[in-house]
Amino acid sequence: MKKPETPDQPRRDNEGIRHWKKYLGLSMAFSMSFSAAVSAYTLPSGSNKQPVWQTKSIAQTLQGRVTDEKGEGLPGVSILVKGTQLGTLTDVEGNYSLEIPNSNAVLIFSFVGYEPREITVNSSQTQLNVQLESDTKALDELVVVGYGTAKKSDLTGSVARINASTFKNQGVTQITDVLAGSVAGFQANQGTNASGGANMEIRGTNSLIASTSPMIVLDGVIYNGDLKDINPNDIETMDILKDASSAAIYGARAASGVILITTSRGKSGKPTINFSTRFGISQALNTGVAARGPQGYLDFRRDYFRTLGLSQPSYYWHSPEQLPEGVTLDQWRGASSNPNPDNTLEWLSRLNFFPTEVDVYLSGNTIDWAKEVFRNAKRQEYDVSVGGGNDNVSYYWSLGWLDNEGILLGDKFSAIRSRMNVDFKITDWLNAGVNAQYTNRDESAVNSKSGNESDNNVLPSLGGMYTTSPFARLYNEDGTPSWYPHGYPGGQNPLLNVLGQDRSRINNSLFASIYAEVKLPLGITYRLSFQPRIEALKDYNYWSPETIVGGFTYSGGYATRLETNRSEWMIDNLLKWNKKVGIHSFDVTLLYNSEQFKSWTTTLTNQGFAPSSTLGYHGMQYGNKPTMETNDIRYSGDGMMGRVNYALLDKYLFTVSLRRDGFSAFGQENPRAVFPAAAFAWKISQEDFFRSEGINDLKFRLSWGKNGNRDIGPYAAFSQMRSVQYYDGTNPQIGVSTSTLSNPGLRWEETESLNAGIDMALFGNRVNITADVYDATTRNLLVKRSLPRVTGFDNVITNIGALQNRGFELTVSSVNVRNNNITWRSNLNFSLNRNKIKALFGESGEYTLEGKIHQGEIPDFTNKWFIGQPVDVAWDYDIQGTWQVEEAEEALRYNLKPGDIKAADLDNNGAYEALQDKRFIGFTEPRYNIGFRNEVDFLKNFSASVFLRADLGHVRAFNQSVQGWSTFDRNSTANYPYWTPENRSNEYPRLANNIAPFGGGIIPFKQTSFLRIQDISLSYALPSHLAEAAKFKSARIFGSVRNLATFTKWPGWDPESGHYPMPKTFTVGLNVSL
Amino acid sequence: MKINKKLPWILAAATALMVSCSEKFLEPKPESFFTPENLFVDKAGYNSMLITMRKDLNREQTGQKNFMAHQWAASEAAVPWLQMDFRALTPNSDLYQQFVVQINDIFQMVKNANTVISRIDNITWENENDRNQILAEALWHRSYWYYRLVGNYGDLPFVKDEVQGAKLDFNTHSRWAILKQLEKDMEFAAEWLPEQTAAGAPSKGAANHLLTKIYLANLEFNKAVESANKVINGPYKLMTSRFGIDAGDSRKNVIWDLHRPENKNIAANTETILAFVDRWEAAAEARSAGLFTMRVYHCSWWHSISGKDKNKGLGMIDSGPLYDSLGRGNPDVALSDWHSYKIWANGTETYKNTPDLRRADVNWFDREELRYNNPASVQYGEPFDPKNMDLPDEYWARIYPMPIYKTYVPNKPDQAGQPLGSNGDWYIFRLAETYLLRAEAYYWLGQLQDAANDINTVRERANATPITATDVTLDFLFDETARELFAESPRQNELNRVSYILAKRNEKGYSLENIHEKNYFYDRVNTLNDFYLRSSEINILGQNPNIQPFHFQWPISDPIINSNTLGRINQNKGYVGSQNNVPPLETIE
Repeated sequence: MKKPETPDQPRRDNEGIRHWKKYLGLSMAFSMSFSAAVSAYTLPSGSNKQPVWQTKSIAQTLQGRVTDEKGEGLPGVSILVKGTQLGTLTDVEGNYSLEIPNSNAVLIFSFVGYEPREITVNSSQTQLNVQLESDTKALDELVVVGYGTAKKSDLTGSVARINASTFKNQGVTQITDVLAGSVAGFQANQGTNASGGANMEIRGTNSLIASTSPMIVLDGVIYNGDLKDINPNDIETMDILKDASSAAIYGARAASGVILITTSRGKSGKPTINFSTRFGISQALNTGVAARGPQGYLDFRRDYFRTLGLSQPSYYWHSPEQLPEGVTLDQWRGASSNPNPDNTLEWLSRLNFFPTEVDVYLSGNTIDWAKEVFRNAKRQEYDVSVGGGNDNVSYYWSLGWLDNEGILLGDKFSAIRSRMNVDFKITDWLNAGVNAQYTNRDESAVNSKSGNESDNNVLPSLGGMYTTSPFARLYNEDGTPSWYPHGYPGGQNPLLNVLGQDRSRINNSLFASIYAEVKLPLGITYRLSFQPRIEALKDYNYWSPETIVGGFTYSGGYATRLETNRSEWMIDNLLKWNKKVGIHSFDVTLLYNSEQFKSWTTTLTNQGFAPSSTLGYHGMQYGNKPTMETNDIRYSGDGMMGRVNYALLDKYLFTVSLRRDGFSAFGQENPRAVFPAAAFAWKISQEDFFRSEGINDLKFRLSWGKNGNRDIGPYAAFSQMRSVQYYDGTNPQIGVSTSTLSNPGLRWEETESLNAGIDMALFGNRVNITADVYDATTRNLLVKRSLPRVTGFDNVITNIGALQNRGFELTVSSVNVRNNNITWRSNLNFSLNRNKIKALFGESGEYTLEGKIHQGEIPDFTNKWFIGQPVDVAWDYDIQGTWQVEEAEEALRYNLKPGDIKAADLDNNGAYEALQDKRFIGFTEPRYNIGFRNEVDFLKNFSASVFLRADLGHVRAFNQSVQGWSTFDRNSTANYPYWTPENRSNEYPRLANNIAPFGGGIIPFKQTSFLRIQDISLSYALPSHLAEAAKFKSARIFGSVRNLATFTKWPGWDPESGHYPMPKTFTVGLNVSL
Repeated sequence: MKINKKLPWILAAATALMVSCSEKFLEPKPESFFTPENLFVDKAGYNSMLITMRKDLNREQTGQKNFMAHQWAASEAAVPWLQMDFRALTPNSDLYQQFVVQINDIFQMVKNANTVISRIDNITWENENDRNQILAEALWHRSYWYYRLVGNYGDLPFVKDEVQGAKLDFNTHSRWAILKQLEKDMEFAAEWLPEQTAAGAPSKGAANHLLTKIYLANLEFNKAVESANKVINGPYKLMTSRFGIDAGDSRKNVIWDLHRPENKNIAANTETILAFVDRWEAAAEARSAGLFTMRVYHCSWWHSISGKDKNKGLGMIDSGPLYDSLGRGNPDVALSDWHSYKIWANGTETYKNTPDLRRADVNWFDREELRYNNPASVQYGEPFDPKNMDLPDEYWARIYPMPIYKTYVPNKPDQAGQPLGSNGDWYIFRLAETYLLRAEAYYWLGQLQDAANDINTVRERANATPITATDVTLDFLFDETARELFAESPRQNELNRVSYILAKRNEKGYSLENIHEKNYFYDRVNTLNDFYLRSSEINILGQNPNIQPFHFQWPISDPIINSNTLGRINQNKGYVGSQNNVPPLETIE
């Protein structure tokens, strides 16, 4: 919908912009020549590239110049002979030369930012100068919205877009890797393992127990599969629907926002083959916190004993080589009743070293566990795709193989992913097609959870790395892995799983969307699509008698065999009608959808394999204690939706929609719910009265809507009985016990939200600003309400309370410099979200909090939910520091000693009581999220980008320093600092600190704000003449670094991943288009 | 062309018909689990819940932090090694011992029983006897665990029905009200439970035994004698001759046989009233982590702090012989000299020469028997020398004799891993205890000769010197239960129960008004347990042994009190938070 030209065009008189456009054109020319995208023309130079017309007689060579309204030459304008693939581009001055067939030809002149022109040349013409008029709407891209597309300028809601070009230079395993920090209002953290991935959240936490991950729509249909199954190389764009109105058409699943992913499709013309490959190396960031080194371990052991309160003098544990001042060796020896003749052995004995540790100390061959556990992880990726088509069919087919190692020894992920998108135009009233995706994932060695302690992970145990001494041996003398490398069963070899477990975890999945679209009379189209998804997971594990699983060694081996099959289908019936009547335009969409999901899981285990366990999980029947378990699930849902878009004078845009959803997981009292939405947008810059030198575009948006969240598991409304296996001495028996309370009244969560936004384009579209504010309230919150444990239950799932999220989002993108040599673009996004619990259980009374008596709604102390506070508030003791030696007497009042944590005692009654003394001390989610991307094209063939990211203002629990220390006389810990009488830390307590007096427990929190250089990249496109010489359409090499540098005070591994190591990744790659 | 134009409409209509099914489409279908609605439809459904309750009895003595271990750790016989200062026991502290959180587990068992009790009349029973028998067993389990709860924690909410939906308005009932309710429930159970049951299932005898304890707690001593009579005159008999798995081993004796896990549920053993079943040969999910007796009750003789040789090398190691049979003592329950030595002294008898089989050399592993077991040590094979320890002054606390006749449960031949105490059956109730309970009832009734007779029945079976009526005191009775029922009877619960009886009767200067400041439990534990007597001589993890009178019962977990936002669950006096208490309810509706 083209904007009518206004009589005068003040914005066009800006000289600077004109200048800029010139260079924009120049740069476009280059990028188009080298682009991997399908080119709709062939290049004129050289020779044997014009097979089509060489068979015909050549009539003439046409020359000319393309200029803008001011008469300045436009470089890079595409000129195409209509109906052929003949064409060329203008040069830097706007001149062109094109040989055209010997007949009346129609030339199409097109250039981004300008209105295209079609000009017919007669057979004798040799000269043609053309002037193009700028089109301010041309940069207005088409974005995907639910069940359709819309021009960005026509949007009434809040939608953000990410183009594939943003991440083309990175090694991306799954698309969430790209999203972290990139979009205002979209919170995501990078995944740390070989399969990538991240948790995601749009506009804050809007649920306490249901999932807050956005829903995924893939090529227009709801996608319930794994994001890992989508190859990022197939993706063209991602559009993120943030406000209620845009998402409301997805009703019951859209409360957490929607991500619409669009994959590549074939374009008309001859096939384009694209090949790309990437290689990379990942390393762990910050391994200094991993394990104590030899000296650190000796000091740690000494300092532990010294501050434990034992009867020996403090110097007893000092090295005889480094005795404190005034202590003689004789004194030191005399502190023991029968000292070993050898001082070193005596000292190590005092430090309680195990024989292995003593041997290793004497030999000096210590182990750096971080070196054993981490590695330089290699990554490789190969992708090939073919796209093309003609008037009746278009196709795109891709095949990719990715093979990643993770930074932890053994962590590995590989995937084969293939996609086929085919669209047929069967008749003029019938289109049909299929988008299909097949993935084979090998996750045999993937760390499936960040905790890393699952029995089934074939990965090093971080816990083992922390606890095992550096004075240790990884292998026994016979070459087998040592179970307890320093001789203590509490310090299990962190590599035991890697070395001793055999695992195969393979997932095969197929997802397809098969559609037919019929053009009906009266401008109505009807689309029917059917989406089957099937998935088969096989997870097999075997532990030989030489290894340990779950604390046990099974003399005949132990094996588990899990198989899950999932099968679901979804049907969408979509009717669309659009019509323009004078100044009114209508766009109506109606939907009927239904779906069903089923899964079947079987788990077998066995042990004690005989006559031999060599068959492992392939021979389950040879064991002597078989067990089996089955777990089948099914759920179903349906939905109806109607939406009307109405535009008046192309200035006033209205959207109204209504959706009704049904879902089987909810209590039978409330299986259905209705979700309405409405939105309005006003294109102020279209008004006649609007005059502005600088502002090209200005639009105001307002939207309101309700969304639901159904994601609580299919059987939450039921009281479930868990099975209990029992053996009465003769027979196995099965018992049951109630594991959850029922709630037949369970219903949907509803999020009602209001969004106001502004879109602005300034200075000849050189600066684009989008700002949004929103206020969303979720009601009927699904809550695991804490129950007193005298009920026998922890909690019950109920719908109670209300939660509010308010926030502000700002995105500014600009072209800072655009000249002959350099183009520099920036994109800054900023967001903040403020979350508040508005209501909980509706039960009022008197309660104590922060030492004061309050009247009002009673908090849930167990879950730490308080009215008026955010869900992520940290409610704990306000740590003032560490009790110092001089304060011993005061500390004793709390039954504490120097070196223990000193917290504020609000009522100063000499006791730490949760309700009296705990305070609100911070927030665990970032208060501000900032992302700042800069892209620079320079020296014609180079482009570089830098992406900075900051999450600010939050804290995170740092439990290490208050964990149990009863075995510190035998093992090690992660390398965190601690208090000693000499090293008087006020940040960390002594090693053997006492936390028992802190009522309700105590958790220290540490600042975890960070700024990081998350991505930098550099790419070089081969100059066109070289590419052509090599018979490529284009070729590009690139390199990038992820997580190059991080600035933070967080004492743990990484401020983003918390207590888990984060990788730094170097990638180089090559992309060739044929 | 006409058909072509209609075709799309036909397609659309057909599809719409296809998908617009009835409401049935949205009906949820549980597929792999039962719900109460489809489970409690017949006798088998109710029985399946009873099976769970029987299995849960193994929580008493399986796994490292088991309930029974805490009972003995809080007594004259031992200290909780890793938390020997009871002042560190707060309503939220469970760092190394689980005096606080075990309440959560026990209330789950109450919940399971209540599910059956509340739903018992959901169906029409063809046979009233079936109904009453199932109800009786559910009541038995609820009463058993409430008896333990009241002993651990005193006043508590009595949860009488299955909880439906969010309930947060619990109030505390006094222990007296709860015990009255238990009495009523157990009278019903004793009437309806069968005399003969499968191994691990409570019988009429188990009901009368439990009822005896409840009558005692309620100061109804005549009724206690009566219910004990029903057990003693029932199908049970003390074992006096060799039997079972080791019967052929002439070095052993009947006391040894009595405590082999393999012998507890065999027909030959007529002394068992109830013993839980827990077998290594069961599937992993159907068995527990093991009895953990060698982990929990044995000293850490293998530990490098204690086990060094004269060259400060390792004299003791955690592998090979000795380790496989004494196991990897932690200990969680460090046994005191009182338990190892003092209670065996009687006139001229000492632990060394006592005829009492319960302290027979073959039944105990004395610390003098320890020999360095590290082949690499210069002292390999030589007797353990306390002088070599890092802290020789702590020898008395760190190295103590082990009552292996009860605790010895080595790994099975096909069981690898640390020797901690493998799976096995364990007594819940044994006839010897019934005798001692009846003796206690006689004591309160002043029938000291009858009491002496019952005590002697138990003593004579163990070949111990009989006593006379003048020897019968409350202290002697508790010495005897320590000798006979170590790791079987819930020690702290029984001491707590008697503390209340004495206070209620205002005997020996005790009264209910100040029971948390002065009570029998504390006076016995603090004066007999060597750890408290020699508190300054041992320090573990920064703590010296310390116990206060109010520790005669344990604190109520903070989260329970705080999450009960619409009512008031009281904290026990002496612990932080008890200032907010309101008077407990004295009746159960």
